[in-house]
Amino acid sequence: MFRKRNTASVNSEEIRAILDEKKTKMKLSLKACAHCSLCAESCFLFMSHDKNPKYMPSYKFLNSVGVLYKKKGNVDKLDLGEIRDIVWERCVLCTRCYCPMGIDIPEMIALARRICRSQGVYPQYDKE
Amino acid sequence: MNYIMEFSTIFSWTFAYDFLKGPMVWVSFIVFIFGTLFQLFKISSLMSKPERIRLSAGPGKFISPPPSPENKKSWYLRFKLSIAGVNPFMTSVTAVFHVLLLILPIFVLGHNILLNNAFGISMVSLPENISHRLTLVVILCALIFLYRRILLYRVRLITTFEDYLFLILAAVPFISGFLAYEQFFSNYKLVIGLHILSGELMLMTVPFTKFIHMIFMLIVRFKIDGEYSLGNGDRVW
Repeated sequence: MFRKRNTASVNSEEIRAILDEKKTKMKLSLKACAHCSLCAESCFLFMSHDKNPKYMPSYKFLNSVGVLYKKKGNVDKLDLGEIRDIVWERCVLCTRCYCPMGIDIPEMIALARRICRSQGVYPQYDKE
Repeated sequence: MNYIMEFSTIFSWTFAYDFLKGPMVWVSFIVFIFGTLFQLFKISSLMSKPERIRLSAGPGKFISPPPSPENKKSWYLRFKLSIAGVNPFMTSVTAVFHVLLLILPIFVLGHNILLNNAFGISMVSLPENISHRLTLVVILCALIFLYRRILLYRVRLITTFEDYLFLILAAVPFISGFLAYEQFFSNYKLVIGLHILSGELMLMTVPFTKFIHMIFMLIVRFKIDGEYSLGNGDRVW
């Protein structure tokens, strides 16, 4: 849980700069999320994976952008790898998830994808 | 006249009670109103409608499809696919909890008597037995939320310490109000003091904590450009 992070391989400044571009909306979304989990059933991946909570839109949003924001971009490749799994493997950006608060979850997932891509962390289907 | 208050006076229940139902009410309302305005100012940049090039419709006219049995049923299908249709129980509990949380304190007789004493404003009040039962409903809803947070894995997974704290903070004014009305404890002033203090704490924490979702929800829904905005909705990414 508490491990030493090797942040040298990641450009935290660049991550912070991307986060800052959407800072207001991201902070608003994180504050508005009531952690109610009512968005779960709107995700077809959640429904098709035996209702595994790790596929809930709110879980994906809180554990991608939420983590990046909380750690102020001070993450390492391992963290980004986990975020990569969340935002690509567990989300297809179909934009059908629905939050009772109206939070634009796809926009937040897209932001996390952008940050991952900026650090060279993305699925390489031809090599994997 | 003795201007220096004795310690025994400052620490007496009467002084604390008078302080809580007097100056502290003003402080909490001021913090609530200005804190909320400050938060709205911080997100005001999101509320301006961005300039966007819109394509005009091409030639020809749109022919609406003939009414079919599916179309007639569509309102029902739409409801079934909505959060209310998928989770009718939780939607009802949430709606009841939030409506009562906002409305009930305004119509409690005790609150209106205080208002009348202070400003001479006479408001419509609910009969005491009704407000008493509705308070029980709020407490029951809070217990359902707590049950979900503790026992449902999907909710527990995204729950933080803050969620428990603010659920309790939202419920304490109602629990203490209920106990005070019932005169459950012999020290009435202590219970009613706790009731007032918790209510004021809740009000003051609204702008700076997760409670802000009650205001942000309306803003996100109606004022900010976004995929699901009911106001000026549009995809912005």
